[in-house]
Amino acid sequence: MKGQVVLVWRLAVRDLRRHPVEALMALLVIATAATTLTVALALSGVTNQPYQQTRLATAGPDVIAIEGGGPVSAQPVSSAQLAAAVASLTTAPGVIAHSGPYPTAYSAVRFRGHTVDVVAEGRDQAPAPVDQPKVMQGGWIRPGAVVIERGFADALGVHVGDNVRLGGLSFRVAGIAVTAAVPPYPSSLCHIACPFPAAVGSFGVPNMGLVWLTRSAVAGLARSGAPLAYLLNLKLADPAQAPAFVAQHPDTFTWQSVQSAINALIGIEQVALGVGGWLLGLLALAGLGVLASRRITEQSKRVGLLKAVGATPATVALVLLVEQLTLAVGAAAAGLLAGWLIAPLLTGTGAGLVGAPGAPSISVLAVITITVIALAVAAISSLVPAIRAARTSTVSALADAPRVPSRRPLVIAVSARLPVPLLLALRQLSRRPRRALLNTISIALTVTGIVAILASHAHIPIANLTISNLKLDRFNELTAIITVMLVILAAVNTTFIGWATAADGRFSSALERALGATAGQVTAGLSMAALLPALPGAIIGIPLGIGVYHLLASGTPLTVPPAWQLAGVLLATLLAVTVLTAIPSRLSARRSPAQVLQTE
Amino acid sequence: MTSTRPVLRASGLCKTFGSGAALVRAVDGVDLDVAPGETVAIMGPSGCGKSTLLHLLGGLERSSAGEIDLAGECVSGISERALAHLRRTAIGFVFQGFYLMDELTAIENVELPGLLARRSPKAARARARELLEQVGLADRTGFLPSALSGGQRQRVAIARALINQPMIVLADEPTGNLDSTATVEVLRLFESLHESGQTLVIVTHEQRVAATADRLVSMRDGAFVDETRMTGGSRGDLGKLIGLGGE
Amino acid sequence: MQQEVVLALLAKEPSQGYQLRARLDEALGSLGEGLNAGHIYVTLGRLEKTGMVALEEPPEGRIQRADRKVYYLTPAGQERVFQWLSEVSWPRPDLAEFHLKLVAATQAGLADPVSIIDTQRRELLRRLRDAQRAAMRELDDSNAALLLEGVVLRLQADLRWLEACERSWARRRDGS
Repeated sequence: MKGQVVLVWRLAVRDLRRHPVEALMALLVIATAATTLTVALALSGVTNQPYQQTRLATAGPDVIAIEGGGPVSAQPVSSAQLAAAVASLTTAPGVIAHSGPYPTAYSAVRFRGHTVDVVAEGRDQAPAPVDQPKVMQGGWIRPGAVVIERGFADALGVHVGDNVRLGGLSFRVAGIAVTAAVPPYPSSLCHIACPFPAAVGSFGVPNMGLVWLTRSAVAGLARSGAPLAYLLNLKLADPAQAPAFVAQHPDTFTWQSVQSAINALIGIEQVALGVGGWLLGLLALAGLGVLASRRITEQSKRVGLLKAVGATPATVALVLLVEQLTLAVGAAAAGLLAGWLIAPLLTGTGAGLVGAPGAPSISVLAVITITVIALAVAAISSLVPAIRAARTSTVSALADAPRVPSRRPLVIAVSARLPVPLLLALRQLSRRPRRALLNTISIALTVTGIVAILASHAHIPIANLTISNLKLDRFNELTAIITVMLVILAAVNTTFIGWATAADGRFSSALERALGATAGQVTAGLSMAALLPALPGAIIGIPLGIGVYHLLASGTPLTVPPAWQLAGVLLATLLAVTVLTAIPSRLSARRSPAQVLQTE
Repeated sequence: MTSTRPVLRASGLCKTFGSGAALVRAVDGVDLDVAPGETVAIMGPSGCGKSTLLHLLGGLERSSAGEIDLAGECVSGISERALAHLRRTAIGFVFQGFYLMDELTAIENVELPGLLARRSPKAARARARELLEQVGLADRTGFLPSALSGGQRQRVAIARALINQPMIVLADEPTGNLDSTATVEVLRLFESLHESGQTLVIVTHEQRVAATADRLVSMRDGAFVDETRMTGGSRGDLGKLIGLGGE
Repeated sequence: MQQEVVLALLAKEPSQGYQLRARLDEALGSLGEGLNAGHIYVTLGRLEKTGMVALEEPPEGRIQRADRKVYYLTPAGQERVFQWLSEVSWPRPDLAEFHLKLVAATQAGLADPVSIIDTQRRELLRRLRDAQRAAMRELDDSNAALLLEGVVLRLQADLRWLEACERSWARRRDGS
């Protein structure tokens, strides 16, 4: 038994070492796919019910009431008035808990040259029963310190331990927290119900941040023209009744309106993340598909050899499986690691938009999914040829080309009339039509993604949201990262397809050269064999990208990116495909025809 | 004796592989003249470099040293493109392993070099049909290689080598993968080509094949060691041949 | 012409010389054309002397022309034919003579054995070429083609042996 294990291991390792480039390419494709899938899953997790998670983690309120505040001329509300209002609300039917009232001032934060308006809420150090903001970094408030809402902190670039100026005073940042009571930066309380008319400028409500301080600190912040407001958080027996409750009581708003504010905010980003995630996932699977089909053909040859030296079908299957698993597991691990490093980049940005606390970048589910997929690819690539071989005789398995490449008489006839590179390209494609199809799909997915992202960018000026430059930068960052990942993955897929085509076509290319085709014609033929399927893929990707974005960003009019951008994407894609596939074909054309023919 | 210009002339051909301790001199200073219409056979044990020599002559491999002239033009130092041009106009190659494209029918295989040489598809196909008739496969033009026997496949390969009316046909162990019946088929073909004036250079280790040549050159360790002119005897000797001579 | 062949041809029925010749030609195909016509008669003469064959008596009074003589098998001749048909000896290859030629030449220092072998090889190759060409001119499966195939194969075998001789003698020469 042990001898069997050692033998299997040795055979598998030897096989891998004999074809290093192949193994490397397989590793690259699986690793990139794994990274992408990891990120894709992480992205989908991020946009998945984040508000609900925040509400759960912070004991979010169902109804928020505002007292006080008011216009410049208003008088600050007296404590008796406040107590009466609080009493009527907290004793209203359906209310089961409350926290507050918390004094809230309208002020401004100054940090590293930026000045941003803020709503400053005064809190107790002891945790509140309703709406206790969840600290993500650092600690809760203490005298002389401030806690900043996470979205706001990201935008400002503030970290725990920094000093900020608030209303002329310096405060140390004690921590960064999230809440479900108000939408995160760049939205704010004032987008829903503004107690500070002074905050509203001639261009509407600007972006306002949220900070928490001790009650005494907030009292000191109140300006003469902007009296303190008070926030009261209520928890209902039935959260669904919040709108009915709010209808009966003035100056209140529901948790649902907070959620809508968030959704309106992140609508576009959510679409981008969703689309990006899906496309990355599909692209990864397409690449794995090409890899698996190629491995199957390669392994069929190995099977013949193994059987010829006396291995039983079981041993053969084992050797192949071990080989593939080693590659797959290694690559998947590398991919997961890379994904784990990259995902926070994205979710960190996303968190600023969504504020989901405690959502891990990579869930156990993600790890399991990716490992399972990698193992599935490995298993299919090894078991299919092994099963086939167990059925066929050793002799026919050894006969190097047991299956005649597919033949399309029409293509052969048509290609005869075309210039030599096209002739070679078309015949190459007709030999392996499935790979050409996967190529088209791969490019189509990439272009769809890029165009969808361009469409979302084109949408922003049209949308009726005031978005700060900081937020726009973050959005650009996010889409840039997704675009880069799409492009990298597509590049890996395309290079792999180009390399696989050149490698599989080694023999026929050498023969064509022996029959009189120049090396240049052969290289051009191989490049065109990659380019011809890519072209329809790229062209289809444009309307698909526009359509996908339109579908997901429901309610918005059709946004079409400017023509120059679309043309640019098309040209860049075709250029990239040409270059990436020319390299392996050029390399393979360097050996003399005689050497290739003799070794095949 | 009138000296007609040789179709092929090689002088001082060398080909080395590897370097240092692993240096292999596959071809070591070979001179060869092939007159028009002549059949030359190159014989030798395996590993003597005869296949490499043929690859050099056919432009499939670059020589390390030496010169090759084809119909008076020097072809040893030319560019890759020019070499490819030669391969589709002046040289026809026949391989031991046939090397037909598996997914193309016999006639599509034969016309391929024609298409590569930019002939019109019609002309190429017509000539391919002609050639397949010539090699006796007129009824199998639409067959795939997998449906043909070894001898038939090699005949298709020979037809393919002839499609661009090459000056010289080079054959590398053409009967190596064939049984004796198929060998006779191919030898018959070479005989008829010889009669029609085609210049042939055949590399072989079989005496039967070598016996068809006008001139037989023996090769060992990358160099020529012997040359035999094979002049024919008269039919009168046949009685002795078959053992019915007088007592 | 082997005597037994003529005897066997005569076994069918008493025949004249030219009839025997015709049967021989038919059996040999086109190869028979090159044979000397007179050989048959010489052989018949010898067989008559050894009593295997006898001449028929001419009809009374008529003078028999030489070429109209009719031959028939004697009982001794018949016996010899049956014996010949059941024999399994195969034509003896004459390798020993060549081998001894090489040994003698080497020992006496008269000639280089390798060059003797080369000369012989060239001759055999030429014969192989002739036989092969002749075989190709015949139709497949004809008598002549069959015969020539045998010649070709034997020449090939002899050539292989000569190659082995060359290797061996070259080694001996270089080693000494």
